[in-house]
Amino acid sequence: MENVKLKIIKKKDVLNFLDSLKKEYNIFVPMEKNGDIRFSKFNSGEDIPWNYRNTKISPKEIFFPQTETLFSFEAGTSALSNGSRAFKPINEPKGSTPGTTNYLIFGIRPCDAQAFSLLGKLFGGDDFQDPYYIEKRKQATIISLACNKPQITCFCTSLKGKPDNEEGTDIILFDLGENILAKPITKRGEKFTENLNSWFKEAKKSDVEKKNKLMDLSLKKIRSGVNLQNIKEKLDEAFDISLWNEIHQKCLGCGICTYLCPTCYCFNITDEKDHVAGASTPSRGKRIRCWDSCMFPLFTLHASGHNPRPTYKERMRQRIMHKFNYCPENFKEIFCVGCGRCIRNCPVNLDLREVLVSLMSLGSLCKDKKI
Amino acid sequence: MNNPYLPIPVTIKKITIENEARDIKTFDLAFNDKKDAGKFKYTCGQFAEISMLGIGEAPIGIASSPMDEELVQFTIKKYITGVVTSALHNLCPGDMVGIRGPFGNGFPMKDFEGSNLVIVGGGFAFTTLRSLTRYVLHEKNRVRFKDITILYGARTPGELIYKSELKQWEERDDINVHLTVDRGDENWKGRVGLVPNVLREVAPSSKNSVALICGPLIMVKYTMLPLMDLGFKPEKIFFSLEMRIKCGIGKCGRCNIGPKYVCKDGPVFTYKELQGLPQEY
Repeated sequence: MENVKLKIIKKKDVLNFLDSLKKEYNIFVPMEKNGDIRFSKFNSGEDIPWNYRNTKISPKEIFFPQTETLFSFEAGTSALSNGSRAFKPINEPKGSTPGTTNYLIFGIRPCDAQAFSLLGKLFGGDDFQDPYYIEKRKQATIISLACNKPQITCFCTSLKGKPDNEEGTDIILFDLGENILAKPITKRGEKFTENLNSWFKEAKKSDVEKKNKLMDLSLKKIRSGVNLQNIKEKLDEAFDISLWNEIHQKCLGCGICTYLCPTCYCFNITDEKDHVAGASTPSRGKRIRCWDSCMFPLFTLHASGHNPRPTYKERMRQRIMHKFNYCPENFKEIFCVGCGRCIRNCPVNLDLREVLVSLMSLGSLCKDKKI
Repeated sequence: MNNPYLPIPVTIKKITIENEARDIKTFDLAFNDKKDAGKFKYTCGQFAEISMLGIGEAPIGIASSPMDEELVQFTIKKYITGVVTSALHNLCPGDMVGIRGPFGNGFPMKDFEGSNLVIVGGGFAFTTLRSLTRYVLHEKNRVRFKDITILYGARTPGELIYKSELKQWEERDDINVHLTVDRGDENWKGRVGLVPNVLREVAPSSKNSVALICGPLIMVKYTMLPLMDLGFKPEKIFFSLEMRIKCGIGKCGRCNIGPKYVCKDGPVFTYKELQGLPQEY
């Protein structure tokens, strides 16, 4: 029954297919730039790097950009009594609500698609909704591309993932060589393929067999793994263990792990003012939010000078505990998808898997027992 | 969708310099649009983000009482390192700023009804306790609470804030006010001593009482001992905590103590809750 929904599109037709959707969608595809692959706006004529392993920067930046304007403001006519000019929001509140375009994210890896479903839990929520993320995500169709060639740093199978994981994706594609097999997952995905029926044909049994074979092979290629069973409960008692004194030792605190992580979401809010040419005082500005990192001391520094997380030790502990203990407590989810970016890009080869292995191998922990 | 990041415009109506060092000021703010005032419903102990476009935002505890209509007050200490608080201190009445909130859980005032209140404050952190005191002393509310004891300390007499209000409270017979300073001066006739020590001297009964604490971390820490000795149970001791806060709505990820976010799950925690959290604040 499964292959009833399965479709085939010819790989050589994909560029034309995307081209035909350009008017309707804001399309993002993986694209090679300066030796790195990154999700960028689709340009006609530029081929998809079908064999790409994964992007360096996670596609979270599409819905949660590194820098995002929350709203803009301009100098009003009135001056503040201190001599500076008072600013007022531009077109507030309507102009400052996030833009709503139909996004089509094409070819992201299943781990990154799963990360979107995690971020949705944070930015959604019962009490406060983050309109900037939610509005963009709501309008998006996500088409992921199953992994034929996992990397040695991939460990998605230790979390909830696998090379053809379906969580967070509307349609999942399989690269069969000349053909691409498409499996709609959600209602949105089904509608999408139905509406564009002329591009697709029904998948044959042999296509499905080929896909299954590829995936079996791919799964076997993921060799590294950590048994994370009950990690949340384990870490419940691990805040005071002395292991934290060791794991951070070689960390430089550069924060690249958090910047590239598809599930790290911590951000800062700051104001920027622009000078118009010739003017002596700034006449407009914007409030922006940008990625921040728990690995930086300023992240938690109080104005009084007090810092609850003053050294690398506390900051490293925060990163691990946040992902593997606090988020499971608050969202019932581990905020890690095993993409391996933090491992591949760490300048001192600090391997998250090794950290997790040492934490998991501590046996039964006890708060006052210093291990 | 409602956008929680947009500040609502307010105008500064009055600024009161609260201390001798002149670095603590109370700002009376009025909403430019009356409709916004109606939407800004808060409880004692909540906070809001005060916003100056082009400068930034800072989270500040609300100093006025929910019973105060039309005005919202914030008592703000200027820190040299504080970009927003420094800029705010340069403003004058008539200037416009922005406000986002109210945020946080606040004190569970309903649960306190029928209890004695022991209010312990130190320094300018007394501000949210002042909100609470104004609330419980309001003629409509006073009957709902039993004995009220305030212990408030500052480094020097000149650093005690809300001086005229303290004087009014001292004159009332339905509230016990104990003021103390670390160092007196020639005009100071009151107590000299650190808050935890004075608390032992005052020795309020813990029977049917709740203790409400706001102050510098070191004071809060050393206030626990006398409170426990007096028989206060950890679930009857309430703190308001401070943390670096940006978004105020539990998204930006910096103000957590373990899995709890001070901006959303706090800033008010019981001592019992704190005992279950990592010592990272």
